[in-house]
Amino acid sequence: MTLFLASFPVLLLGAVLSAALRNNKHSAAAAIASQSLATVLVLAGVAPLLAGAPPMELSWSWPPPIEHISLHLDGLSAFFLAWSLPMTLLGTVFATGYLKPYFEKGRRGGQHFALLTVTSLAFVIVYSVGNALVFLLGWEIAAVAAWLLVIWDYRNQKIRFAGFNYIVSTHVGLFVLVAAFMLLHSATGSMEFSAFGKFLSQQSSMRSSIFVLLGVAFALKSAFFPFHTWLPRAHAAAPAHVSALMSGVIHKAGLFGFLRFTLLMGKPEEWMGWTVLAFGGLSALFGVLSTATQRDLKRLLGYSSTENVGIVAMGFGVGYLGWTWELPGLAVLGFAGGLLHLFNHALFKCLLFYAAGSVYYATHTVDLERLGGLAKKLPRTALLFLVGALAICALPPLNGFASEFVIYSGLLSGLAPHTDQNALLTLAAAGLAFVGAVSALSMVRAFGVAFLGNPREPKLHVGEEPPTPMLVPMVLHAVGVVLVGVAPATALLLVKGALLPFPMAAALAPALVPLGSVVWVSRALAGALVLVGVVSWLSGRAARRSATWGCGYTAATPRMQYTGSSFAEQFARIFQAFLPALRRGEPSEDLFPRHSVHLATHHADPVEQRMFEVLGQGEKYVGQATEKIPEQPRFAFAAGLVALFVIGLILVGALR
Amino acid sequence: MSPALVGNVLVLLVMPFLLTGVINRVKSLWSGRKGPPLFQPAWDVLRLLRKSSVYSTTTTPLFRIAPWVLLVTSLGSALVTPLLGSTPLLSFAFDFVVLAYAWGLGRAALMLAALDTGSSFEGMGAAREATFSALVEPALFLVVGALGLFTRTHTLHQALFLHIDDGASALAWVCAVVALLVVLQTETARMPVDDPTTHLELTMVHEVMVLDHSGPDLAAIQLANSVKLLVGASAIATLLNPLAGAGTALSAGLTVLLSLLVAVVVGTIESLIARLRLQTVPKYVGLAIAAGAIALLATTWRLGGAP
Repeated sequence: MTLFLASFPVLLLGAVLSAALRNNKHSAAAAIASQSLATVLVLAGVAPLLAGAPPMELSWSWPPPIEHISLHLDGLSAFFLAWSLPMTLLGTVFATGYLKPYFEKGRRGGQHFALLTVTSLAFVIVYSVGNALVFLLGWEIAAVAAWLLVIWDYRNQKIRFAGFNYIVSTHVGLFVLVAAFMLLHSATGSMEFSAFGKFLSQQSSMRSSIFVLLGVAFALKSAFFPFHTWLPRAHAAAPAHVSALMSGVIHKAGLFGFLRFTLLMGKPEEWMGWTVLAFGGLSALFGVLSTATQRDLKRLLGYSSTENVGIVAMGFGVGYLGWTWELPGLAVLGFAGGLLHLFNHALFKCLLFYAAGSVYYATHTVDLERLGGLAKKLPRTALLFLVGALAICALPPLNGFASEFVIYSGLLSGLAPHTDQNALLTLAAAGLAFVGAVSALSMVRAFGVAFLGNPREPKLHVGEEPPTPMLVPMVLHAVGVVLVGVAPATALLLVKGALLPFPMAAALAPALVPLGSVVWVSRALAGALVLVGVVSWLSGRAARRSATWGCGYTAATPRMQYTGSSFAEQFARIFQAFLPALRRGEPSEDLFPRHSVHLATHHADPVEQRMFEVLGQGEKYVGQATEKIPEQPRFAFAAGLVALFVIGLILVGALR
Repeated sequence: MSPALVGNVLVLLVMPFLLTGVINRVKSLWSGRKGPPLFQPAWDVLRLLRKSSVYSTTTTPLFRIAPWVLLVTSLGSALVTPLLGSTPLLSFAFDFVVLAYAWGLGRAALMLAALDTGSSFEGMGAAREATFSALVEPALFLVVGALGLFTRTHTLHQALFLHIDDGASALAWVCAVVALLVVLQTETARMPVDDPTTHLELTMVHEVMVLDHSGPDLAAIQLANSVKLLVGASAIATLLNPLAGAGTALSAGLTVLLSLLVAVVVGTIESLIARLRLQTVPKYVGLAIAAGAIALLATTWRLGGAP
């Protein structure tokens, strides 16, 4: 515990130093040094928890309104801390390379490095506290730090807007979270998680409302559909390492919160499990459908976060159901699959965002339609992106496959007490299969269009491969992706620790037997792939070379290659309802157009579009309504407030 | 060396060529031609293996590796398939998940190789393949998942040993056969989804993706495709075989015969039906999804409330 607590002042000092030092190099060094030290301290502190030591508790008296700062460190906290801090450290290392061109122009980076360190600090708080007020404090620090990190390029209006959109959305989530905590406080008279737990473990209608509120708040943090609208914007606007950390690490706090309250609640009700499963499935489906049409590589990766947290939630849904039905084998498969996928997503999503950052570093664009043929000029970046892309499609032998396999083995286990329930779970498995296949479409499209073929815009200057500080984090993440793929036992050590606080933890080993045989298949496949790869690569080097067979219609310009939009066109037309296409201009009706026409197509986010429509209409309605109250607006306002208060009272009374 | 092992390996070596040969022969007979020898596909592969490859200057090493990735994954998927209507060479819980994702890897490799050439035609083929396969995947999981629930088993071959004893099981069985046939046609680029013999690149799906492959690489792709055909045909044959699971020589022989029958059916459909318009193909694949869903409903109906 002392080691763990020592990380707090270390990070604080590091952040202050980073912000205070005038030289960018010194700031970066302070951030990296403090984060490295904190990582070592935290890992040393939480390692026993992962190995099975009892949870650590600590409580200080503190002036009101907090009263007590209590710490509660268990396996679940240890799991999240064990990879969040090292990955933030890698992100900081990446930043030193990625931001170098800005530094050379005289930009100060001290605050940025300080904020990255503060993010680590927020993890230390959020993952360890046992008091709702302090939890909210850590939560808020992480949110505001992330916002400030996103608007690094604040001179650009679009980026300021994306940041604003993010900060508003995340605070809407905060309101919901505060509402849930206030309800809990009113019921328990305390802000301690342990007191919350006593209340939540009893079934009541209040508990159901709190579950929904908490679910919405955490879903907003982790960018579940339909609360994801801020995410693609923020990810496209932020520097690559910030997108990576937000998507891979920071937003996992939402899932942590969800699991923390799951543990406090204890055995859930059946509807909760189905809700989580359906909600997760919907997120996965919507997220993956949206990835298929994106032009902006980072936006695409952002939507894929919505997809992957959806898959994680599907795992948790299975865990909930297994818990309700008192089937430890099923429950443990769901939770273990979800946690493993969550960890895997952090590994490959950071890798992909870093690789996208390297593309931006070299070309100053991430617009797929302007890229092409990058693999020849950036072979390292291409290889690393490819590893991440194959992993995110859950293709064997990489890590995504291992975690999705665990979730499949829960969904298809046929363990549910009733056949209808088994049929629903099978349906969810089919949905997951669809998600996997569409994800393959999107990633083949993204990699193929950006890295393969010929450059689409010959004028686009392609710079150099990323420098070492950018390359090292990518390589480490890629190694993790492969390692967890062929030896999931490594990551399962962490997952096992995370499951310790769950009552069904003992059922893990027998439940993972199917994974054990699959690992051997993955290893054999990996060996075979390496073998054929090396042989065909070597044997093909001396082969004759010629131009691509053009079928008699050799393209006049490289722009006539198949584009990202054309790749997704047929698919997008099938799923028009989810992927609305906006058109500007009209295509020519003639078979042989005589006049030049202009046509631009663009895929907007259906939820955001609808939200703006509703907001616009709402404004209109409010405007019309207020016109009808010609005078005494103060009275109307007061009356409205009183009415709202009364409705609130009635609602609370009804819930009681 | 157990007889089952020898039999499986023999089937794996001979049947891919024979099935493709049978389809070609059936098509020839329907159109009033004599047709090529039954083992012509094998000679084609051998001929291609003796040649050398030519690579486009646009391509990267990925293009050279992809055909062999496809071959490895196809052969791997054959290991978990009941080629002889009994326990396959390799079997473990949820092996069909591995099969589906191994096919996915092979497909992804081929699509990337197609995009690697920078040719619009090949990009078109890759886009179509990606779109259709996205629809095929849930159908496969619905069918195998439903059969797994029905037979209360977790492996592919046991799920396919479905015994018909009442209306619900017959319905599930019929739907499974239909769905698997559509999956087979889509995955191995047969009519009415794709026309493997067309001469217009604009209308191709699978063939257009491999336009630039030559020599041994093309041989690997053709062989991989034939192996996938064998996997699909054996799965359907096992489902059709009333003796499946017995592990006897009779049951094995019957499975092989039924696989050939599946090839005859595929060839006949190919001779009698024109290729669908590309916009209609998703609806045809939707048929497989619908059949899978009905199989799942039939399973629920049959098993009722009992666990």
